[in-house]
Amino acid sequence: MQHSALTQGIIICHRCAKTAGIQQDGETCPRCGTRLHRRKLHSVAYTWALLLASMIMLIPANILPIMTFKALGKGDPATIMQGVLQLVDHGLLGIALVVLTASIIIPLLKIIGLIILLLTVQLGWTTNMRQKMLMYHFVEWIGRWSMLDIFVVAILGAIVQLGSLASVTGNTGATAFAVSVILTMLAANCFDTRLIWDKHLEKIGYADHVGR
Amino acid sequence: MSNKEITSIQPDKFWVCPECDLLLNRCAIPDKHEAHCSRCGSTLISSKHHSIEWTLALAIAGLILFFPANLFPILTLKTLGLSQSETIFSSVKALYDSNLLMVAALVLMAAIIIPLMKILLMLYLSTCLLLHKPAPMLAWAMRSYQQLDSWGMLEIYMLGILVSIVKLIDVADVTPGVGLYSLTGLIIATLLSSTQLDPHRFWRRIEQLEKR
Ligand SMILES: [Zn+2]
Ligand SMILES: [Zn+2]
Repeated sequence: MQHSALTQGIIICHRCAKTAGIQQDGETCPRCGTRLHRRKLHSVAYTWALLLASMIMLIPANILPIMTFKALGKGDPATIMQGVLQLVDHGLLGIALVVLTASIIIPLLKIIGLIILLLTVQLGWTTNMRQKMLMYHFVEWIGRWSMLDIFVVAILGAIVQLGSLASVTGNTGATAFAVSVILTMLAANCFDTRLIWDKHLEKIGYADHVGR
Repeated sequence: MSNKEITSIQPDKFWVCPECDLLLNRCAIPDKHEAHCSRCGSTLISSKHHSIEWTLALAIAGLILFFPANLFPILTLKTLGLSQSETIFSSVKALYDSNLLMVAALVLMAAIIIPLMKILLMLYLSTCLLLHKPAPMLAWAMRSYQQLDSWGMLEIYMLGILVSIVKLIDVADVTPGVGLYSLTGLIIATLLSSTQLDPHRFWRRIEQLEKR
């Protein structure tokens, strides 16, 4: 039989992993000073809120230009997708694929992954549990790599400053994109994977005393 | 288990999986071994050989490399007798000059301030723990280190440099500078440091020192 620590009256500090008795719920961890909770507070609601906000920000992030590359006074502001297509036009397929993955594919995968995890908790989908954990770890790990395009704008903006000959400037789409990436990172941090296992135990009939 | 047993459980006799809340019996983990949760597969403990010595050495190396990585040019672009150099800070300034204040602040944090803070926190922690010296704010330092961990993004900045080089390759002559080599070393030191860090050992030591 698999016991969830909570049903045995034990909670764990999410920062330093020290174990404590359930009576310490809401107090600070004696070792690191973080407040102890049975589960991350309002995990599902916060994750949804941050995720929806990041999805909304992804719209201006893809519609607005993020960078203007001017050579000899010519050049228009380009969106993320136009930037990728320009790379394809120049025959730089490999790098086009890297940018496409970091800026478009990863953000979409993160959103889909988090939605599946949230629905798992809310609708009690309790199949493929280990795969869901892998998916969470993937979403958590991959999130930061979407910042790639922001750094590229910053680096090109600093190095391509040759007056009227050539220049690169960032545009407002970059702000929307950066905010969207930060919001999904925060959303992944807010999600508590233990909730999907609580559902699992509930389904197989153990978690009678899991209190909320 | 009955209710009587529940109240008599000693929290320190167990491990609790932070990802799925499975209650496991505690056992000794020898150096260089890992313990995985039998239910969800997450790593519970990853015991490192000489963890404190290694993180101290890597923090010193990181601190030494931090300054050339930030002071010397990373890339220099040369075309038609004009040249322009780039440092991490000048890329922050380029975003600031493009009126992207928030993005500039974000890059400043992710590529300069947080990596430096992580090095300094680790230097302080590993020195105090190695010398068994009770010191103020050890728990605060460890907690902050863990909170900042995923927000330092030098390795992504490095990928941004590579993408920028490829983008500029047929436009101009781009040469790497001392800054780039130092930055590479700094990233290696940071990545090794997070693989050599054994948070459980650190937290146990901190707890022992604070009890004195
Ligand atoms: Zn704690
Ligand atoms: Zn587990």
